[in-house]
Amino acid sequence: MQYGRFLLRRVVHSLFVIWGAATVVFLLRFLTPGDPVTVLAPPDAGDEVRDALRQRLGLDEPVHVQYFEYITDLMVADFGKSMEVLDRSVLDWIFWTRFLRSVELAVSATLIAIAIAIPLGVISARRRHTVSDYGATLFSLGGISTPNFWLGLMLILLIAVPVGFIPTGTPGPLLHEAVGDLFAGDPGTLGDWLRFMFLPALTLGTYFTALITRLTRSGMLEEIGKAYVKASRAKGLPETLTMYRHVLRNTLIPIVTILGLQLGTLIGGAIITETVFEWNGLGQLLIERINARDWTMIQGIVIIIAIGFVSINTVVDLLYAYLDPRVIDE
Amino acid sequence: MISDRVKASLKREFYQSRAAQVGLALVVVIILTAVFAPMVAPHDPNTQRVGTGDAEDRSDLPPLSPIPGYEFTGVSEQTEVDPETGEFETVTVERPADRSYPLGTNGRGQDILSRLIYGARVSMLVGLLGAGLAALVGVPYGLVAGYIGGRLDDGLMRAADVMLAFPSLVLAIALIGVFQDTGFHTTELPDPFVAAAQSDTVPNILIPRADHVATMPEATTFPVTVTMVVALVNWVWFARIARGEALSIRAEEYVTAARSLGASNLTILRKHVLPNAITPIIVLATIQVAFIILLEASLSFLGFSGTDLTWGADIQQGRNGLSSGRWWISTMPGLAIIAAVVGVNLLGDWLRDALDPGIQGESGGV
Repeated sequence: MQYGRFLLRRVVHSLFVIWGAATVVFLLRFLTPGDPVTVLAPPDAGDEVRDALRQRLGLDEPVHVQYFEYITDLMVADFGKSMEVLDRSVLDWIFWTRFLRSVELAVSATLIAIAIAIPLGVISARRRHTVSDYGATLFSLGGISTPNFWLGLMLILLIAVPVGFIPTGTPGPLLHEAVGDLFAGDPGTLGDWLRFMFLPALTLGTYFTALITRLTRSGMLEEIGKAYVKASRAKGLPETLTMYRHVLRNTLIPIVTILGLQLGTLIGGAIITETVFEWNGLGQLLIERINARDWTMIQGIVIIIAIGFVSINTVVDLLYAYLDPRVIDE
Repeated sequence: MISDRVKASLKREFYQSRAAQVGLALVVVIILTAVFAPMVAPHDPNTQRVGTGDAEDRSDLPPLSPIPGYEFTGVSEQTEVDPETGEFETVTVERPADRSYPLGTNGRGQDILSRLIYGARVSMLVGLLGAGLAALVGVPYGLVAGYIGGRLDDGLMRAADVMLAFPSLVLAIALIGVFQDTGFHTTELPDPFVAAAQSDTVPNILIPRADHVATMPEATTFPVTVTMVVALVNWVWFARIARGEALSIRAEEYVTAARSLGASNLTILRKHVLPNAITPIIVLATIQVAFIILLEASLSFLGFSGTDLTWGADIQQGRNGLSSGRWWISTMPGLAIIAAVVGVNLLGDWLRDALDPGIQGESGGV
């Protein structure tokens, strides 16, 4: 099969999945017991107020009409308005600031994880059955077994409290603000950004660090046993070159796919890390809106997360197929 | 269903691998403590000792120090009436560790060790039942999709892919949102040991520490909603594995032979496809138990569990103490979670290494 056809199929499939996800979220609201109007209307509201509210929320229409309107609105990226604060649209500016905050946190965590994990995995595989290998293995076992909200609390206890700076409460600056200030000649904002980012990113990144270390180690060990390694050693290629040019490169390709699938864990982890550090992101907003029973906001947040998740997975798959065309035929 | 060859392989791997031994020991110890909680726990996990009435105030006690000579001290703030002026004032009281509360107490004066022991019940039960329920839905779904193939397979697996569009915690929280107005559905599981110790149906000599057991809580609160939610979130993984296995098994000659002998599809699925697909499913189930324990802890940390006697809820409860020196309230339940999840993960590594001949003897990978 050609790459163009593969690309088309993959994109159509992910559009289907996003549509399915949107439908599931829509259905969830109908499974929810209780009338949203009862929750939102003041307790002493008369029938007129309730009917007006119902009409404003579009709940007086039959289900299929509501569904149709919901899907067509989604197609033009209209996520509706908050049910609690009726004049606030789901996609207003507060939402995007929060979205950016979550993305910054997730990206920083991933970068930390990659920077630590790949060298650790390589060392572990090359010096198999040495102290450093056992250390790395133990670390990665602990890392995938530690609940990250607890890890965050422990980092606060052991680092933030003694240092006297707990990165919670007031949100730190956003990266684009920090960079803007840096070019304007004020590096202080960037320092603030780093100070606020360090512990949350470390907390969120630990699971991924452990996971990538484990994957790199076992992948390297599998590759080292292959014939081409023996061949390249036999022709006298320096060991470092063999390892990094050939073995590591071949190891990394499948890891990327697994990481794409594990991205869900990262997003879920971000939600709970945000709660621990009172990080003003999408995850905290989701929890807050769940408690406020603000279903349009919940729908909007969940769908945006799903779209992000599916798109990244699609891009990863397409990249993978480009790098290793064998998967196209599978 | 388990052949002698597999048994031999499990045994050999077990003797060779220290990690497998540690994992099994951890899991067995935790399950035994969970089952025999009323006998093991030193106190009733729910009793509060905040100094009301005649009861002595035992709140915020620190744990015993493992190193003699370096004792931990707890600090707690109390409101007292000044005898001379008659005004209320806040006094900080230092609290030494107490032998009968080895891991200390929380702000309500509840014994932390006893809470950990009872918390193991909820974690293990949700982990095992959640993974079991997910397998019960996912395995038949995947087997049918893979075995029948064609359009049906396409349709079923597309539908399953939709579930994968949601990160598991996001989906779990959204589902919790659906159920939350019904009141979190929990059920009280009566404790057979306590019931037996309180009545005379079983001679009390047969129950260790019968007098103590009779004073323990009569029932454990079990979070039904959370168990259903974690199963709903995770069944897809079972479906995917089962489908992949069924897809390759249906091309085997013994399946063709069975079919030509006139066996029905149901019989073939039950007698031939399922037994041959079972090993990867078991390995996945083990990993899922570890994952679900973590998911349950996250949900109860966020307050979505419906019971407060869980490890996650206890971590949340101790959060405020972190900046005021009461570090042990949140720390201890976290260590318990790590012990349980490490144990189950090591068990999973052992099963995978022993059952999957492709990567035999290599204890890496996920």
